Amino acid sequence: MLRHYAIRLLVLLTLVAFAAFFLVPIIWLVLAPTKTSEQLVNESPFAFGSVGNFAHAFRTMITWQGGSLRIWLENSAIYCLSGTALAVLAAVPAGYGLAQTRFIGRGTLLWITLVAMIMPANALILPLFLELNAVRLIDTAWSIIVPFAFFPFGVYLAYIYFSAAIPGDLLAAARLDGAGEWHVFRHVALPLSLPIVAFVGFFAFVADWNNFYLPFVMTYDRSQYPIQVGLQLAIVGVPAPDRAMATLIAITPVVILFVLAQRTLVGGLLAGAFSG
Amino acid sequence: MATVTFTDATRLYPKSDRAAVDHLNLEVEDGELLVLVGPSGCGKTTTLRMLAGLEYVNGGAILIDGKDVVGLPPRDRDIAMVFQNYALYPHMTVAQNMSFSLRMAKLPKAQIAERVRAAAKLLELEQYLDRKPRQLSGGQRQRVAMGRAIVREPRVFLMDEPLSNLDAQLRVATRAEIAALQRTLGVTTLYVTHDQVEAMTLGHRVAVMKDGVLQQCDTPRTLYERPRNAFVAGFIGSPPMNLVQGTVDADGVRIGATVIPLAGRPPKPVGETVTVGLRPESLVLASAGNGIPATVSIVEELGAEAFVYAHLADSATSGLNVQRGIIVRLAPHVAPRSGELIHLGVKDRSMLFFDADTGLAIET
Repeated sequence: MLRHYAIRLLVLLTLVAFAAFFLVPIIWLVLAPTKTSEQLVNESPFAFGSVGNFAHAFRTMITWQGGSLRIWLENSAIYCLSGTALAVLAAVPAGYGLAQTRFIGRGTLLWITLVAMIMPANALILPLFLELNAVRLIDTAWSIIVPFAFFPFGVYLAYIYFSAAIPGDLLAAARLDGAGEWHVFRHVALPLSLPIVAFVGFFAFVADWNNFYLPFVMTYDRSQYPIQVGLQLAIVGVPAPDRAMATLIAITPVVILFVLAQRTLVGGLLAGAFSG
Repeated sequence: MATVTFTDATRLYPKSDRAAVDHLNLEVEDGELLVLVGPSGCGKTTTLRMLAGLEYVNGGAILIDGKDVVGLPPRDRDIAMVFQNYALYPHMTVAQNMSFSLRMAKLPKAQIAERVRAAAKLLELEQYLDRKPRQLSGGQRQRVAMGRAIVREPRVFLMDEPLSNLDAQLRVATRAEIAALQRTLGVTTLYVTHDQVEAMTLGHRVAVMKDGVLQQCDTPRTLYERPRNAFVAGFIGSPPMNLVQGTVDADGVRIGATVIPLAGRPPKPVGETVTVGLRPESLVLASAGNGIPATVSIVEELGAEAFVYAHLADSATSGLNVQRGIIVRLAPHVAPRSGELIHLGVKDRSMLFFDADTGLAIET
């Protein structure tokens, strides 16, 4: 009995330690704009300054450089939503096809997907740049959206989901009911795959939103910057609390999305674990 | 309605050296309910899935109404199937589940509604049409799966252990409903089960399979009375037939120390070994010295009858490599008690003989 409680306590302490590790920077980030530059350096990292400071930092950053932050947020939204939509549109049917059909070269395709998935994304940036430059898309929205649509991790996630979570008999029943492969996917597999659509969509969106290097390489014009690339301009000449505010604004959409999608995401994670 | 013919149909799974279905030759008549039965892994479900087009066919042909369907996609075979786990579309209502095939066939809406309504009425599902499968009981889900097959008005019905997820009472009731429904609709039906009672009660004919090979296909009565081999003899019948080793003697067949007289001609020359098949109801209680001695281990009283599980006494089997457990079906008022020593006689002309090596039945 004592051993049981000791183990539970150990588990609890480990979880608290992990939660603290990830929460502390966010708490610092939320508190930083409430302080002045001097307070930020001299006071405890967890000290609270004033609501007035926070509001001031917000106003400063929203109007900074003629409202650039708003333009970059809008750019980020356009790039990420378009990229995510394309990634989901491609990844979910691709994963389904790989899981449910047998064709020549399937093994090779799976292998390529896996290799593309584990390859560092930055390693592909130079060839991508050359490709997109050849078709004169550099410094346009497409130079970011098109690479965002390439999401092998999503293909692999969907492949795992369709291999394990959809009973084969269900698809067989639809085929016997007279449905062709498209209708089997559209009317049976897809309605049952909403958790994986949400899952792939969320991962794609977060990866796209936080991507700095790709848009940094693909865009020259400041008006084309997404928020992550724009933020670097705030490194010089902007007081630290205001810079923290800019960062806070930059991460807020992802936090909101996670809170809204949390339930579906956990459902997606567990979908393969239980049958029936 | 249609006939179904398997001609040397074979399924060999990749990386396996033994065929899951081995040169199957079987003919299902128009309107017949044919039951495929056998132990798990015997190839019965694979056979069904080959006919459905869900399983690759490595060799031979499968004909529906004389036309080879091997290579046709499932949707072009005009076959409806009831799956063991029902495979209902969980995101659709009962009505949508039942109408899915008709919507795929682009039938007029009015006709779809009419067919669904008629099937729902037949299966007493009318008040559940708007429910999702998860809101139904096991028995109701089973009926929806049947309904989904019926609305199609297909040429052939396939049923893959459709009763195995139901409790015992519901299974017996649904079994009778399926039999009645099949008679009403008159659709050629292939029904797979591992339960030989289900096979015997439902099938116009029953095909017994083992290790991918068809053992015998006959009417339930013929299977019971004239099994073609020892496997069929032991598989069909509940409780199963007793199979013991015997030696042909000048006066009959010797089981242990007891000689059972023969009414017909001997199955083999004197001195040779045969497998003797004794149905539980073929055995009777005999007076001491006039039958095979056995010790009762368990008596199951079922009211109308009693099953006596006994062990052949050592004196009857010493030195012989024979099955010692034996089951006897008796009237309850004559059933002995556990631990009692009994003597078992055999009713005239009720013994079956099988070749001790090949297991094939020996005509006498």
